Amino acid sequence: MTSVIVHEGIEGAIADLRLALGSDYVLTEYFHRAIRTASAAPFGLHLWQDTLPDVVVRPGSSSEVVEIVRIANQWKVPIVPRGAGAGLADGAMPLKRGVVVDVKRMHEVLEIDEENHTVTVQPGINMMELNKILRPLNLWFPDDPASYPVNVLGGRIGTGGWSLVGGGYGHIPDNVISMEVVLPTGAVIRVGEGGGRKIRKSSSGFRLKDLFIGHQGTLGICTEVTLDLAPRPQAELPVFFAMRSWEDAHRLTLALGNSGLRTLCGVFQFDERKVDFLRRDDEAWIPLPEWVRAATGAICYGTEAEVEAAKTIIFEIGAAHGGTYLGQEMSEGDWASRHDRYHLAYHGRSKGQIKLLAWSIDDCAIPWSELPAVKKRWYEIADALVAKYPEHFDVWGMFMYTNNPFRPWGDHLAELDLGINELEMTPEIWKEWIEAKTEIARVAVQHGGSVSACHGGTREGEVNVACYEELAEGQFELMKQIKRLLDPNNIMNPGKYNLDEAYGGEAL
Amino acid sequence: MSQQLSSKPFYIEKIEGRRIPDPLIKDCFAVFACRHKFCREVCPVYQDDRDESHTSYGFHATLLAISQGMGELSDVREQVTNCLECGACELRCPNTLFAGDFYGASTTTVDLVRKVRRDLVAADIGFEKYEAIVAVIDQYLKYFEGPEEDLTRWAEGLDLPFKGETMLFVDYFNAFETTVVARNAAKIMAGAGVEFGILRRPGATLGELLDVNLEAFVEHARHNVSELAAAGAKRVVLINPHDYTYFTRDYVSHLGELPFEVVYITDFISELIDEGKIKFDGANPLKAGKVSYHDPCTLNKICGITESPRRIIRSLPGVEFVDVSPVAQWSYCCGKGSASFKALHPDTSYRIGSKRLQDAADVGVERLVVACPHCEDQLTDVRARSGAVVEPVHLLALVAQAMGLS
Repeated sequence: MTSVIVHEGIEGAIADLRLALGSDYVLTEYFHRAIRTASAAPFGLHLWQDTLPDVVVRPGSSSEVVEIVRIANQWKVPIVPRGAGAGLADGAMPLKRGVVVDVKRMHEVLEIDEENHTVTVQPGINMMELNKILRPLNLWFPDDPASYPVNVLGGRIGTGGWSLVGGGYGHIPDNVISMEVVLPTGAVIRVGEGGGRKIRKSSSGFRLKDLFIGHQGTLGICTEVTLDLAPRPQAELPVFFAMRSWEDAHRLTLALGNSGLRTLCGVFQFDERKVDFLRRDDEAWIPLPEWVRAATGAICYGTEAEVEAAKTIIFEIGAAHGGTYLGQEMSEGDWASRHDRYHLAYHGRSKGQIKLLAWSIDDCAIPWSELPAVKKRWYEIADALVAKYPEHFDVWGMFMYTNNPFRPWGDHLAELDLGINELEMTPEIWKEWIEAKTEIARVAVQHGGSVSACHGGTREGEVNVACYEELAEGQFELMKQIKRLLDPNNIMNPGKYNLDEAYGGEAL
Repeated sequence: MSQQLSSKPFYIEKIEGRRIPDPLIKDCFAVFACRHKFCREVCPVYQDDRDESHTSYGFHATLLAISQGMGELSDVREQVTNCLECGACELRCPNTLFAGDFYGASTTTVDLVRKVRRDLVAADIGFEKYEAIVAVIDQYLKYFEGPEEDLTRWAEGLDLPFKGETMLFVDYFNAFETTVVARNAAKIMAGAGVEFGILRRPGATLGELLDVNLEAFVEHARHNVSELAAAGAKRVVLINPHDYTYFTRDYVSHLGELPFEVVYITDFISELIDEGKIKFDGANPLKAGKVSYHDPCTLNKICGITESPRRIIRSLPGVEFVDVSPVAQWSYCCGKGSASFKALHPDTSYRIGSKRLQDAADVGVERLVVACPHCEDQLTDVRARSGAVVEPVHLLALVAQAMGLS
């Protein structure tokens, strides 16, 4: 454990927060703070106390958020916005302690505009909850991350999230039309395409909306958002092909992307080691012949007629590339369970025995052509780690998904999954894991990729690669200038993205 | 006799101060490491207060934090009261869904909450509004110690024997507060030609007792089992779904296999309908209107009995049934809870109940059929206070009316 940061103004801030929000929503008890430290990424239990916030606040309105920001500036204490805590890049982890702003109480639907296909909501609403409300209106908010049943919109915006069906419907940055944002100074602004709240494309002014998506809580707190809605599709068609090799699966992915099918919303690959992992540990796995070494899947949404026509074309392409259709039941079952099966601690293994392992995931964006080389180098890094620490790490294989919004071709989200033994972690092994993550991130950048397609490049291990290698051509320097401009006291999620550098010795 | 507290024997070891037993640390870690937090959106308390401290994830993470030196047992005094013990989080937990059977590693939040409540009491810490629970227990224990005729007054005029191969077990809530439920059950069974008896002095079956005084709970369990066996029971019919969880889970855990079969009243009636022993005379018990069905948490989420109430409703003449699937109802609750949640958090309880009536109104029904006396009591109270349109009605009342027994 390193030395714990102490903020001199915290007691005064807590007293003022109680006056502003009422004591019921200003929480200082250990348990309230402890459970709001971790996010879904691997979490160093041995580091828990270092990132324990001083206080948790639960605002119920935009005006209360403004008050919180005002108080934080007055007392010079950090504030860290937090949604569902389902992020995989530690964005909501309070690195410098201070005040965690849990926005989940703000979960109202403020307006549904059926004619213009928009919904305006508060940031604490969950997408599944939202879609239940929209369903009777035959409308759909088509954001579909693996964490769909649990995460909330504010977190999705803060991380610049990615969607499984983004190849057809776009990802979060594409589906946010406009937002109300409380800036680190307490000023409230609305950003969008120009000034219209429901305008998707404008040439007025700068494109400021993008600045407030994916900033990991460093530039403001979204308090209201207007979203783009799609008509609920008539038909859903998942198709999974068994493949004899990952190379075949990889080629099939390109062919499907090149098909020109407008109903195609995503193409994904399971590599050999992911298939091995599923064979070994997935209770829902339906036995397949040994020759099945990889898989390629595709998902279509659209009208019945469109999807039916696409089905024929997809089958033809699949067969031409050596794919064996796994059947309707398996295809629909696998797609239906996409939100449920992405990690289970009991799937951990060490030397063949059960070991409770948490989930580590790298989510780099990689050009299609570079996937084979990246995959090879990543496994070299991961295998070396497991060879050295077989009690602490386990390789769980790779998924690859189309990453391009609205177009299922080009770059892919490449996901390397590892099991990690948090319960028996030591500072030394943690350090080596961080070094391995650095190498994994570096490989991505060396192959023309990005450290993160969906979670954010904020984690220890990858953040330096993101800031100093990936964003080296002036972007990181501009990020620091923007941060300093918007947040003169560095109160908003300090420590993230190395932005404390912008303040020299004045960092909190 | 097994001393097992739950399906997880390591729950028996007490938490003291900051010392969490090693197997419990791993148990908590399995939920913490998951971090999907599917347990959150499905929790009726979270849906109301939006505070993840009150979810299964929050509770397991807190105990893990204590094991890592952050806080101690006394810190969970408030947290431990914010559980309805409805079981939704257990069902929705990926550990239960995907690894439960294979590894014996289902998440058992309800058992854990009960265990921690007991540990708090054992450590003389107690929990918030603990006195309210003690008051309920005292009242129920007085019933047990009181005159025999008080315990069976609900059955006045029904002329029921105190023995039989089939025994109708009537708990204190039904015996003293929702006596119509007990009387309807008896009339229906008699109307179907079933020969059955009741206990002269049933023991207490009380969630509050299980939560804070396990020894007394088991003592009453032993009394019930031995009295029912002595009365000649081969089959025991229960009319309170909370009792069904105690008999089929907790009694078995503590006393071993029971010497009789246990059946819930809806399964029993459904069987009687199938056998042609219950016939409806064609009269619509509701005169007109659509109904939906509210799955009691204990019956649906903990015991998995969901079909028989629906079959019965569908067999009632003239009733238009708008079903809401039992899986969709994982996130529903009447708001009363299994162990005085309503007394501990009356405002939250009221809002959860109001939401349930509103959910029923949203599917376009006038009446909401229930199969649990606690749900009926709670939703009737909420309706009276809120002015909600939807009227709760007990399934046994409908069956009795349709049989022409009322």
